[in-house]
Amino acid sequence: MKLIVGVQLTAALLIWMGSPFAVLPRPPEVARALQRLWAEQGLGADLITSFQLNAQALFVTLVISLGLCYLTVLPFFCPLASAVAKGRFLSLAGLTFVFTLVFGGGRPLKLSLLVFGMTVFFVTSMAAVVAELPRAAFDHARTLRMTEWQVVWEVVILGTIDRAWEVLRQNAAIGWMMLTMVEGIARAEGGVGAMLLNQEKHLRLAEVFAIQLLILLVGLVQDYALGIARRISCPYADLKLERK
Amino acid sequence: MTTAYEYRETLLKVTGVSLILGGQQILRDLSFEIRNIHRPTQNQGQVVALLGPSGMGKTRLFHILAGLDPPDTGTVQVGPEGKPVQRGMVGVVAQSYPLFEHRTVLGNLLIAGRRAGLATDQARAKANGLLQRFNLGAHGGKYPAQLSGGMRQRVAISQQFMCSEHFLLMDEPFSGLDCVAIDEVIKLIGEVSTSDELNTTVVVTHDIAAAIEIADHIWLLGRDRDAGGNPVPGARIQANFDLIERGLAWRDGISGEPAFHELLQEVRTRFATL
Repeated sequence: MKLIVGVQLTAALLIWMGSPFAVLPRPPEVARALQRLWAEQGLGADLITSFQLNAQALFVTLVISLGLCYLTVLPFFCPLASAVAKGRFLSLAGLTFVFTLVFGGGRPLKLSLLVFGMTVFFVTSMAAVVAELPRAAFDHARTLRMTEWQVVWEVVILGTIDRAWEVLRQNAAIGWMMLTMVEGIARAEGGVGAMLLNQEKHLRLAEVFAIQLLILLVGLVQDYALGIARRISCPYADLKLERK
Repeated sequence: MTTAYEYRETLLKVTGVSLILGGQQILRDLSFEIRNIHRPTQNQGQVVALLGPSGMGKTRLFHILAGLDPPDTGTVQVGPEGKPVQRGMVGVVAQSYPLFEHRTVLGNLLIAGRRAGLATDQARAKANGLLQRFNLGAHGGKYPAQLSGGMRQRVAISQQFMCSEHFLLMDEPFSGLDCVAIDEVIKLIGEVSTSDELNTTVVVTHDIAAAIEIADHIWLLGRDRDAGGNPVPGARIQANFDLIERGLAWRDGISGEPAFHELLQEVRTRFATL
């Protein structure tokens, strides 16, 4: 598998280098742009700002979404979760005015927009996980003399942690995707999103590519770390019957 | 073959149970009881096989017997004291053998023990005893995903015995199994039955041959017919086959005997009229 990945990466690089589009920056230009941005324009500090914003938004999203999804075992909360999930069809740009009125500007605005953007997707996925739990799983816990709250703890919360990690990984990626737009709305704090938009405005394509590649790299590392955390906290998640 | 036995106290009593769902009568005035069968020579539990066509309300009855759903009318009493059934008094092994996938085999048993009110030490001792009894001693640290179907079934039964001492409901334990696996399940139910005088197992199944091999009684669930031959809504017990009287209960290797095939044919014929 490693060999296949290596060959495919090499092929992608060769295609990029031999591209007929003259305006497309080549890998050496992108590498030089990355060095310049890092050394002269504070890309490292902006990356930390963005990473912190994304991590904070992810944490708030996790608390709100999991709380709401677990509560869907009570019929009263199902319409609310369903309404939140429908919010994924709304554009963040169209909501900026309302969010500015409520949260003001700067970091609170960016945080709230990111949390909204991730929550609607998180609730969609996680509510489906909870809804798919079979009645037999609940009845099984009940036959062991568990109270309804213990059933929720054992079946709905502990029983779906591994899938919650997967949903978290997807939403962490969604967060990086939304970051550019959110940081473009309130640029005072900087961040890689704001830097990306500034470079794009001046048509510095090598710099744009460099920032994109850096975001991709950080996103992949973050995803890898979340995957490891999932394997450590849920060692049963990927187990299969071993026939010898 | 004559085997000495006697019926003693009532262990499970169902009286006048009726259930209506969505305006449709599912169960109607259903009554039966299971009594302790005593054999002087050995521990002998009770095994009743409940057969019936699909859609006849077997699963609903299963839930009512387990205390998971209340009937519209009637009562279910459990144990020699005749206590009204509540969740956890009757062990349930569903067709898919549900377990807590996020807990190890031992963890699955321990949490059941804690819910049954056992102290940690007591729960651990009982769990280890059950694991040994069901040949799972080496698998306590495994997760359910690492178990074969047969092992999973044994863990599910052990878990239920952590909570419920003597009563076990099994839903379609032979479904989807090959003949070797069916023999294993028959053996397992036999072991459960003979491990305690009061152990009482009710098996809901479509497999008539397997039912004859494990049960001491077979009940057929079906609807009455009116004078015109039309089915009356609501299922009840339509037939009770006593395998002890026929000399087929508590014996291995009966499938080659004429009495086995005669009963198989008799049950099939009756089944077709339900």
